[in-house]
Amino acid sequence: MRRLNFFVRVFVWFSVRNLTRHPGRALIVVLGIALGAAVFTSVRISVHASLDAFNRSMAHVAGAAEQVAVQPGGYVSETAIPILAHHPAVSRFSPVLTTYVRPARSPADAFFLIGIDPILDRAFRQWQLDQGYGARGQIPWADLIAEPYTLILSQPLAAELGVAAGGRVELDHNRGTHAFRVLATLNPGGLALVEGGRVAITDIATYQEFTGLLGGVDRIDLIFRPNTTAQQIDHLASALPESLEMNPPSAARDSGNAMIRAYQLNLSVLSFISLFVGMFLVYSLVALNAAARRRELAVMRALGASPGMLFRLFLAEGALLGLAGWLVAIPLSGLMVNYLVRVVSRTISTLFVRVQPESLALSAWEVLFSFGATLFVSVMAAYQPARAAMGVAPKEAMEIGQRMPQGRYTARRLVLPAMGCIAACAPLSLMRGIAGIPIPGYLAILLLFVGFSLLAPWMLQGLGRLLAPGLRRVAGIPAYLAGCYLRSSGTRISVSVGALITAVALFASLVIMIHSFRRTVELWVAQTVSGDLFVTTKMGEINRYRFPIPEEIVAGLQRLAPEADVVESRRYQLRYEGFPYELEVLGMRTFLRHGGFVWLKGDPETILPRLERGDGALVSEVFSNRTGLTVGDRLHAQIEYSRVVLPVLGVVRDYRTDGGIVFYSWHRFRELFHDPGWSGVRFYFQNRGPDVDDQVVRLRNEIAQRYGDRLDMVSGKALRQSILEIFDETFAVTTILLFIALVVAALGITTTLSILVLERTRQLNTIAAVGGSEAQIRGIILWEAAYLVTVGEIAGLVCGFVLSYLLVYVINRQSFGWTFLYTVDWGALAYSLPLIGLTALGAAIPAVRSVLRQPPATLLRER
Amino acid sequence: MMETGARRDPLILTRNLTRIYTVGGSSVAGINAVDLVIAPAELVVLKGNSGSGKSTLLSLLAGLDRPTSGDLLVAGHDLGNRRATDLTDFRRNVVGMVFQSFNLLPTLTVLENVLLPALLAARPAEPARRKAEELLDWLGLKSRREHFPAQLSGGEMQRTAIARALINDPALILADEPTGNLDSRNGRLVMDLLAELNRRSGCTVLIATHSDLADALATRRLFLSDGALREDACDA
Repeated sequence: MRRLNFFVRVFVWFSVRNLTRHPGRALIVVLGIALGAAVFTSVRISVHASLDAFNRSMAHVAGAAEQVAVQPGGYVSETAIPILAHHPAVSRFSPVLTTYVRPARSPADAFFLIGIDPILDRAFRQWQLDQGYGARGQIPWADLIAEPYTLILSQPLAAELGVAAGGRVELDHNRGTHAFRVLATLNPGGLALVEGGRVAITDIATYQEFTGLLGGVDRIDLIFRPNTTAQQIDHLASALPESLEMNPPSAARDSGNAMIRAYQLNLSVLSFISLFVGMFLVYSLVALNAAARRRELAVMRALGASPGMLFRLFLAEGALLGLAGWLVAIPLSGLMVNYLVRVVSRTISTLFVRVQPESLALSAWEVLFSFGATLFVSVMAAYQPARAAMGVAPKEAMEIGQRMPQGRYTARRLVLPAMGCIAACAPLSLMRGIAGIPIPGYLAILLLFVGFSLLAPWMLQGLGRLLAPGLRRVAGIPAYLAGCYLRSSGTRISVSVGALITAVALFASLVIMIHSFRRTVELWVAQTVSGDLFVTTKMGEINRYRFPIPEEIVAGLQRLAPEADVVESRRYQLRYEGFPYELEVLGMRTFLRHGGFVWLKGDPETILPRLERGDGALVSEVFSNRTGLTVGDRLHAQIEYSRVVLPVLGVVRDYRTDGGIVFYSWHRFRELFHDPGWSGVRFYFQNRGPDVDDQVVRLRNEIAQRYGDRLDMVSGKALRQSILEIFDETFAVTTILLFIALVVAALGITTTLSILVLERTRQLNTIAAVGGSEAQIRGIILWEAAYLVTVGEIAGLVCGFVLSYLLVYVINRQSFGWTFLYTVDWGALAYSLPLIGLTALGAAIPAVRSVLRQPPATLLRER
Repeated sequence: MMETGARRDPLILTRNLTRIYTVGGSSVAGINAVDLVIAPAELVVLKGNSGSGKSTLLSLLAGLDRPTSGDLLVAGHDLGNRRATDLTDFRRNVVGMVFQSFNLLPTLTVLENVLLPALLAARPAEPARRKAEELLDWLGLKSRREHFPAQLSGGEMQRTAIARALINDPALILADEPTGNLDSRNGRLVMDLLAELNRRSGCTVLIATHSDLADALATRRLFLSDGALREDACDA
């Protein structure tokens, strides 16, 4: 304890007071670290909030169920209930139906409707009515059963819809609109918390009548008797119809989690880059202090301080900067997190699973993690300068005159490890992810950044050597002196270049990746999402196309537009060894006449005729990567009551975000298995003149007149537009994170150059004393900045190209299962890189302004 | 007033030259009402205890600082009222500085350090280079011209600094404790060099020093005490 007290006292005397003597420098570093930490923390908290909301919602829906009986791609027949009810292993069972419904004639968003048997379900899920209902002497569940078209609303939903117990609410679903009487509201807790509290409960019979699912349920939840053995459960499974599957209730939650986690991980890594860039700032300041205070260190050593103590002092300085940065990051995170929660949850809902984070769950683990990460990077940044401080010999206290930099040799020594780091990216990028996480890929990215940052001193010195003589003739003596300084500079000056390289590389790679992604999605949208008008069951999309279009409407739609080709389709939501995918059976012949696929594997010339005939299916790249099924393999699936085996003919690109997709011929499916019905249809007008939009409007109006609001319709143009809008929205967060990384890198330039000016006051004053004008000296600093920015941009661009390959072909493939057609947005790079360069040069202005703040006469006063 | 060489125009002329610094709210006189006349081609040794004002006087004569009051003329330039750009021109063309800590730029070679004032003054590169090489040859540094300062001894560094001070043919060399960081042999060598260039080129040399090494070489010896100047009899 005494030693700790002593250390703290020395730390305050030696380090803290020095930091407070130069508050500007320390503040810039703290701000840089704070920005990085705030971004990192708020991104993690935001995704955690969505993940937490999703998991809690799924847990409340799953309740106490131990196993769930489901019918892949369809509904469980109620005929299975007696088998379950009488099986000795089953203690309790509860049939469950869930869907999304929308309040009729209301701008309110769709909400979650659960259909249960209130008596059977009591053992599974908890829900309580508000006290007022019980006080009136009624039995809530009995009323729910006894009175058709009644429901119970969660309190927030009732408030949102403006109804109370006894009131009425009209709800839309696939078969139309129906009025419900609100029996009561739910107390917060249990089922009332599902979907962020936007939930309602109705009796199963009402649900079935409302949706037309008579005799079928989504699933049957099961609780087994105590001490039930695995054999008894196997026996139960074999007693059920062959088409039914027994799954753990966590299956849906797990696949949802897997998708969100991949997104979370990528966003976290991206946000960590800002913290990583902030690390360069800490290094810069601590390294300056270690170098500039060399004589003080020698005096300390002469007075009895051990090398270990000096090492700990500088590590503690890094830790103090990290701690201060983290503390400043807390209010910054508070500002960012509200925006991010909104954007992130919207992105997750759009891309993966619906989430409704109703409140921010401030997880102690996340707070601790963010604190630990910030402190870790700060201490790591201080490590090398602290090691250098250890090496100061006490005899230096007796030396007069300046110690000359030995940078040239250090820089050369760094080249080999730098090349090693960069070369290591190749084998790492070929390695598979660990547990679905592209850990080798992330490691490759880290090594890439480290490698290029280590190369920076050598590149900077090379550029100084190469350009300085020529620039003397062209741009004068300031450019020459700046080049001379850089060619002999140590690694510290290169630190800000490392930060800039990282930020520029990130920028360039994301520009390339997003551009490649968008261009591929545009191609995919044009090919695979082709069509002039898309018609689905009402609320088909939100309910994952589970409800087919009624047969009488199908017959009508077929006759409706003789001038248009009709492509019918049915989508089934299935799982292959736990991985969720969609089987889309569609009128292949007609579809291929108008649209197509973006091919990845297989020869379209030979495959298309076979695909039309229904000889096999196409699978998406995501499906193929996730399941390992590829051309020549056979896909086995249980679809409603049919056992389906489909040879895989080819692999195509597809960018649906909720799993993989398999395409097969609708007509062949009906011939071989069963009539799948229609869950959607798309129209292609044969006469594709300039009036195709008018034709679409006419057809829409005609369908609306005939079938009212029983169908959802969207024009192909609007659908494709909305997909691209969602795409652009998805990358809004990325753009913000990127911008912050660039700001932190610019702060790095400011810090480094300001530090260099302060550190070289004597040299700059000497130049003034031997005839250098103020403009020439400012010019030197500006040219140094220009060299830094040039190296940062060139190396960052090269690093960015390598990184973009890693992002497209390793990280995306391992995280989401897809890759893109690699295309470079030269235009965006051409106009943005000079802008970044100018911004970075702008960051040098404070340093330029600080030149000659001390008069040159100090040269004669400082011995 | 300390005067010599009254028949010629003085190179340095000061009247009531005063420089007051404000330190922590209180005023401290660096030099106070100094009157000084130095003729061309003199070699003057300026002595005084630490804090006596030697460096203040030198920085004013070098155009590195401005006086608080009084007149200051060096080689016909009135330094009291000059703009910063004029002072830069003055430093380029009139004075050469030699410092105790050498103040060579560590990132430049010996040759580049010597060339630096000529390049800053935008002198033609090739003649300046020839001159630099001549100076290095004269100072015995020919073989060291591509070396960096870190690779030189203290004496070599100071000789490089002298070459740098001479590159623009200044009328006045100001040397601030030029032997302070050197051993006695190198110290003597540097003083001899300064005396030789005073004899050879006729430029005025003013050496501020604690050392007695230059006493025998000086044409005049001045003493500064508490900011005031007095002349000592010269043995030379």
